[in-house]
Amino acid sequence: VLLAAPDESALFTVLPGQKYLMQGQGYTAVILTTAGGAAALLALLAVGGPLAPAVLPAARRTLQPHMHWMVWCVICFMLLSEWPKEGRLGQGGMAKFRQAWQSLGVGLAAFGLSGLLGFILLYRSPISHAAAFQNLMPAFVGLFAVPSLLVNLASRVNIPRQARACMPGSLTASSILRGTLAGALGGGFAGFVPAVTGGVGGMLAGHATALRDDRSFLVSQGASKLVYYVGGFLLLFVPGLWITRGGGAWLLKSVYAPRMERDYWMALASAAIGGAVALALVSPLTRATIRMLETCGYRRVSWAALALMAVLVAAVTGWAGLAVAAVGTGIGLLPILYGSRRMNCLGVILLPIACNLSGVGGRVAAWMGLL
Amino acid sequence: MKGISHFAAGVAVASCFPEAVRQGAAGNPLYFILGGVFGILPDTLDFKFYRFLRKHDMEVIPDPLRPDPKLIAEAVALAVNRARVDGRPVNLKLDTIRLAADQWQSYEVTLDPAKKEVRVRLGPVVDTGGNPVAGKRGGKDKGVSAPLLCDVKVEYTATTKVDILDGPTFRMTPLADRRVLAEFIPWHREWSHSFVTALAPALLCGFLFRDLLAGLIVFGALAAHILADQLGFLGSNLFFPFTRRRKEGLKLVHSDRSAPNLATVWLSCLVIFWNLYRVAPLRPHYNILQFAVFGALLPAAAFLLLRRCLNRLPPRRSETDATTP
Repeated sequence: VLLAAPDESALFTVLPGQKYLMQGQGYTAVILTTAGGAAALLALLAVGGPLAPAVLPAARRTLQPHMHWMVWCVICFMLLSEWPKEGRLGQGGMAKFRQAWQSLGVGLAAFGLSGLLGFILLYRSPISHAAAFQNLMPAFVGLFAVPSLLVNLASRVNIPRQARACMPGSLTASSILRGTLAGALGGGFAGFVPAVTGGVGGMLAGHATALRDDRSFLVSQGASKLVYYVGGFLLLFVPGLWITRGGGAWLLKSVYAPRMERDYWMALASAAIGGAVALALVSPLTRATIRMLETCGYRRVSWAALALMAVLVAAVTGWAGLAVAAVGTGIGLLPILYGSRRMNCLGVILLPIACNLSGVGGRVAAWMGLL
Repeated sequence: MKGISHFAAGVAVASCFPEAVRQGAAGNPLYFILGGVFGILPDTLDFKFYRFLRKHDMEVIPDPLRPDPKLIAEAVALAVNRARVDGRPVNLKLDTIRLAADQWQSYEVTLDPAKKEVRVRLGPVVDTGGNPVAGKRGGKDKGVSAPLLCDVKVEYTATTKVDILDGPTFRMTPLADRRVLAEFIPWHREWSHSFVTALAPALLCGFLFRDLLAGLIVFGALAAHILADQLGFLGSNLFFPFTRRRKEGLKLVHSDRSAPNLATVWLSCLVIFWNLYRVAPLRPHYNILQFAVFGALLPAAAFLLLRRCLNRLPPRRSETDATTP
């Protein structure tokens, strides 16, 4: 929220968090997102926790052989549901059609190119095998993190002075409940189905619940991310399920594999304690970040963030990783510059994993000359 | 209905064929992809292709710096009057008023058959989500009107809100009884939402894949889309090319409301899950009654309770201020 200010050329893609930031209400946006996370944590502990051992193992046994077509369906819907944003004015015809399809075409191109990058990284990665665990990290940094920072720097955007308190009337029961419902549904779906991220889950749930107002959207983002990350991690502990979703679960599994019911309840209690600590930290940390942005200047912080990412990518994956991040940045800039959905860049994982789940990944890679 | 409702319903149709479920479990995603894609296809064709290719006879482009409601009202009246005088349909496009990257000046156009006039009123400035922009209030005027020379028959709703992205089109069609029919977005739910034309892609897919099941799923998904839309207000031209006009909808639901969309997606997911569950090579734990109670009735009760609680909450002052023009 605080590091993604939109520039004047941003077409229709000014996200609610960015709107709040440009109105000096970045703090409120963070608090709304946090409220969604807190409400989703409560729902996860009070409803999801007791129900999961009874429902999820049977659901998994039923759905496991069908995960591949679910991922394909998510891809199809993601690509089909993007709305043409131009082509408003003028007489109908091919010129208007081309104008309308510019952003949609770029969105499809971004999906295809990122999918190609994903295949290369999965089948013939230039990154050393020593850093294989972080194979996709440079691509994600390039596709999603660097482009926003580059736009910040190139457009010389400055944010207005930010309020240090929540805007009165912003936290309403209605927006929290609506947002939490949508976010929890989306995050739950994303946590359960492989390769689908919290953002995609949030988008699906936003469509399903016809979510329109900014406050509910921000709440839903917090709820979706929490259920996706925390819920996904907890799947490792659910008795009878024990599936591994997300980096945290994979790291833990390498040192400890939970197999007792007691582990599950311990994990739920840990999530509750961790959530409470995180909640207590959100407000002071947000204020500290805002103070830093105002003291150091938005551009300087953007430069620092960019440098930090470059150092991290280089340290973990070497020069090859930096090259991958540069390619990812080129692809990631496309949707920003042409006003299409940035989510299309998730082709980097969705396309190769969908192909692999359907058992055709190897054949596609061979056809592309990667094997 | 929103796109995701149609998509989910299309996938649910595919799951009703046990062979599609068996093929899905064996690694073939085709039938489910066909169900989803053809479930959403009619709207994709209308909103992403046909809309941009359709010609119009008149276009109203209001000045973003000084939007003039009188001019808009007169243009709409002119389209109605011209259709009556010339005796042929007139296509009118009303453009939206974009003020900034994420700000739009909304306005409302009302066709009043009783008073034989068109009224236009400027509304609040809204963002691309359709929410009023804080600090920018709408006009408090009653609007301006322009007289009509003939009686007008309204096909959809008397008042049309023009706010974000692309504006609506009207086709003013002269009728035999000397009235003019105002057809709302005439390019939508025309040939693309017909049971007859749905046969074409179904036959094509059946032939391409040499597979009757693929054709059945395509037709089923398209039919589910058409039937779901018929629950709304606008209706569809159900038997194009044998029928010329859209058949009025049942007016049971508004397509952009959250409850019907969530209910459709939820029910579709339940149908999908049940169909996968009963074909799965496992000993079922639940019968259909338990499934309906735990999967549909209890969540529906919880949702309704939640909605009731929300509706009882008094609106906040800031909200009422922002939305009242």
